[in-house]
Amino acid sequence: MASSTPALGAFPSPFSIQPPPDCAGWEAMYPYYALFDEHRRETDENRFWFWNSMHFPVPMPAFDVICIDSPYQAVGAWQNRVFAVPPAMGIDYRIVNGYVYISGNPVTDPEQIAERAGFFQARAGYYYENWTELYGKWRAKMEALIAELGDLRVPALPEYEPDEVAFGDDRNTAFYEVLDAYGRALRLCDLMWQHHFEFLLLGYGAYGTFVEFCKAHLPDIPDQHIAQMVAGIDVLLFKPDSELRRLARLAIETALDAAFVEGRTPDEIDAELAQSEAGRSWLAELEKVKHPWFNMATGDGLYHYYRSWLDDPSIPYAALIGHVAALKAGEQIERPTAEIERERDRLAQEYGALLDDESRQPFNDLLALSRTVFPYVEEHKFFCDYWFLTKWWNKIREFGALLARHRFLDDGEDVFQLSRHEVASALDELVLSWATGGQPAGPQHWPPIAARRKQILDRLAAWTPPPALGVTPEAVTDPMTIMLWGVTTERVQEWARQQDGGRALNGAAASPGTVEGIARVVRSVDEVADIRDGEILVCGSTSPAWAPIFSKIRATVTDVGGVMSHAAIVCREYGLPAVVGTGSATARITTGQMIRVDGSAGVVTLLVGEEGE
Amino acid sequence: MTAPGARYIRPLARLSRADEPRFGGKSAGLGELLSAGIQVPAGFALCTAAFRFFITEAGLQSLIDKRLASLSPDDLGGVQSACAELTEAIRSAPMPGAVQEEIDRAYGELGGHSSDAAAAGATAVAVRSSAIGEDSESATFAGQQQTFLWVAGALNVIDAVRDCWASLYSPTAVSYRARAASADRARASGTVGAAGAAGAPGAPGAPGAPGAPGAADASGASGATEPPAMGVAVQVMVDALVSGVMFTCNPVSGDPSTIAVNASWGLGEAVVGGEVTPDEYRLSKVTGEVLRERIGDKLVEYVAAPAGGGTIRRDVAPERRNVRCLSETELRALVELARRVERHFGSHQDIEWAIARDGSSPANLFVLQSRPVTAVPKRNQKPRATTAIGLVMSTFGVDPAPRDT
Repeated sequence: MASSTPALGAFPSPFSIQPPPDCAGWEAMYPYYALFDEHRRETDENRFWFWNSMHFPVPMPAFDVICIDSPYQAVGAWQNRVFAVPPAMGIDYRIVNGYVYISGNPVTDPEQIAERAGFFQARAGYYYENWTELYGKWRAKMEALIAELGDLRVPALPEYEPDEVAFGDDRNTAFYEVLDAYGRALRLCDLMWQHHFEFLLLGYGAYGTFVEFCKAHLPDIPDQHIAQMVAGIDVLLFKPDSELRRLARLAIETALDAAFVEGRTPDEIDAELAQSEAGRSWLAELEKVKHPWFNMATGDGLYHYYRSWLDDPSIPYAALIGHVAALKAGEQIERPTAEIERERDRLAQEYGALLDDESRQPFNDLLALSRTVFPYVEEHKFFCDYWFLTKWWNKIREFGALLARHRFLDDGEDVFQLSRHEVASALDELVLSWATGGQPAGPQHWPPIAARRKQILDRLAAWTPPPALGVTPEAVTDPMTIMLWGVTTERVQEWARQQDGGRALNGAAASPGTVEGIARVVRSVDEVADIRDGEILVCGSTSPAWAPIFSKIRATVTDVGGVMSHAAIVCREYGLPAVVGTGSATARITTGQMIRVDGSAGVVTLLVGEEGE
Repeated sequence: MTAPGARYIRPLARLSRADEPRFGGKSAGLGELLSAGIQVPAGFALCTAAFRFFITEAGLQSLIDKRLASLSPDDLGGVQSACAELTEAIRSAPMPGAVQEEIDRAYGELGGHSSDAAAAGATAVAVRSSAIGEDSESATFAGQQQTFLWVAGALNVIDAVRDCWASLYSPTAVSYRARAASADRARASGTVGAAGAAGAPGAPGAPGAPGAPGAADASGASGATEPPAMGVAVQVMVDALVSGVMFTCNPVSGDPSTIAVNASWGLGEAVVGGEVTPDEYRLSKVTGEVLRERIGDKLVEYVAAPAGGGTIRRDVAPERRNVRCLSETELRALVELARRVERHFGSHQDIEWAIARDGSSPANLFVLQSRPVTAVPKRNQKPRATTAIGLVMSTFGVDPAPRDT
């Protein structure tokens, strides 16, 4: 990085961002260490931060910050301290106006990288070699964790403790039970995130390597085809829906299909089914399916407001209604697994055959490894993000209900407007005042805070965060940033271009490579002679008569033509970048202007400033 | 078909790749396609000996040598005036009787009426140059060869043959050969001269290779010191509703799983000459699905001249300009064709094709030319790791070769 001239790139400085109107004090929702502060300005301002819109698309409620802290603790612990990924430690985050920006911590010292490589090869190698066995143990651990969460009781605060506390052995009073339950709830969440990341890096790494391998050798391969080659046939994530299909068939076989009418609520359908013997046995079958398959989340995210099918059965019931209708229309609704398997093997075989001999073996081996790791990649979401998290948020709701019962909150749901530490503090005071019988301050303290924060979150939701902050990196090298977020050098440059107001022209990517230079707009053959060495030719189209000039120019941009037009062919022959078929290059570009021609992406950028130096 | 005694002409169907040195790349390639069972318009080929015989009979060799001596390829004016003179001399020289008779007969066998230029209903043919080396693996250089479309009547065919030959002395062709020769000399002497540097860094040797064999050791600064050879292909015209080109790989990245199709209305000249922004389709060779399409602005098309003889360029009706010119069925037929042609040749192909107005898919789909894709871009730098686990390790930044080198 530039050390003498810390040139700020095209992105705003994180310290220049202002809060939207009437959002003053938003910082109080978040931990001190999550904010950009003056003490770290020197480093923070000179780093590249990007908005993690993949996981945190909307402003963070205060409580949900645990789903930033805990995952980044876990991912860093595995990546940096266990596997010691050579060039990358963990990921730092900061919150700006409620939005989460992240930045990887690179390892730059070659000796340290080499030292870490030793750890990584041994430890990651062990995981890859023993993947299936280790993953089997992981599933058992996750199921045990979820069971433990299910067993966690949130006690009420009784007027008098029951006799067992007085007469039994080793009994605890409710004050301790409440604090203990809350502490355990937080620890279970930490543990889930720890498990979540045990395999994630290595699983995505193996799969990502296969994806990259395919794209390097077969750049046009649709992502869908790569996924099809790797994806399991009988995958856990398909199970909830395949169970619904089975239930739909059962409904028809037992003549219950009339209950599944478009527009009915789940309760209305249940009520009708409860009328008949067949309906009651169908409902009993549904009950068996619900555990665990209704632990699907209604959305894909880390926020408390994603509920499960158990909480909100409208999604599975809508699916049931659809499946019943499809079956009645004579459609085949079960997944054609034999066909999927045949197609998956055919794709793998055909793509393998297109590769040269040298590439075929690694292709096949990477495909095999990807298929080995893929069950984790697909299934961890069900165990962690859906099953555990939807149950866990509900557990927190129980604490919210407890606080609301004692008027510390207007509504139990407001518990998510407090940070987990504030909830600990509120619970502390609650059990204290329960114990002492004194007057609590909480009922006056917390409700206005929750109300104000809901208002701020609404306002922050209307604000559009910039895609990145800080300094534009010359290259994105952090493997995790690339692998998990797809934030590549090209992506960042594209963001930067959009930021700096440079105008772009799009055309066909006709000949690869990127150059910047002075444009020479040529509208007729007479002007060909004016072209000077090193200029970029901008013209309507080229013809064979122009052959001599291609040894002079650095790139070509045309108004019309495709990737097989004369200009395109000749530029590939000469190794010059070309963008053809831009539509309006000769109209929008003037001779002498600096432009950037990206023949790989098919983009011409009109650079700010008319002349070069 | 052709009389057994024919010395200068052979039906395309009886040519194969091995005939390239005598008949030129285009004719040999068409013969090869026909022998692979791929639908190509019927036709015949003139061998290079016909051209040499013509030059000798007309006594043109000394003129050619004189005009090309000490000509610099960078002297555009000089090249242009020398070429104008040579072209005119070739076009006005008489066709030797033996060659003329064979053309008459072969054209007649295609269904054309002998001699009568204006005869109504004369078979329309395309007359194309078939240069030696030009279609070889080493270079695709667009626009260096002549094509005369919709030629009807034997006399017009003979004129078109002469015009093809004359195209060897177009300014583009002459300066290209001169550059190639000087690049060869630069390479031979171990220096990189200005002309050598004109060659793309990414395509080493490409400009040098297609020059006539033997030109490399020519000592004169003028480049070609003996007439380069040229054959000619004559084929029945396809009255194309749509035509275009396709690559059996991605022309930019070299992806072997892709077929790239450019297509526009009418004859292929509009696409090849870059006069329209064609429809671009990127198709999966594996599944045939359309991966990407960009509908072009197809402003003009070439069709047969209504009066007969030649083609006209006309505006495409506004309602056809920005609509897809290929149906799903036609795209599927193109994918199937691309797979067959590529399988036959065992390398990526650059195929010119046309869909006739009459008939239905796929019977109306013709291949007009196929040649190996040249200048396939180099793949991204090969990763240093070659095993699966090594590649995974390098994803995580583990150098596959621990620093011992």
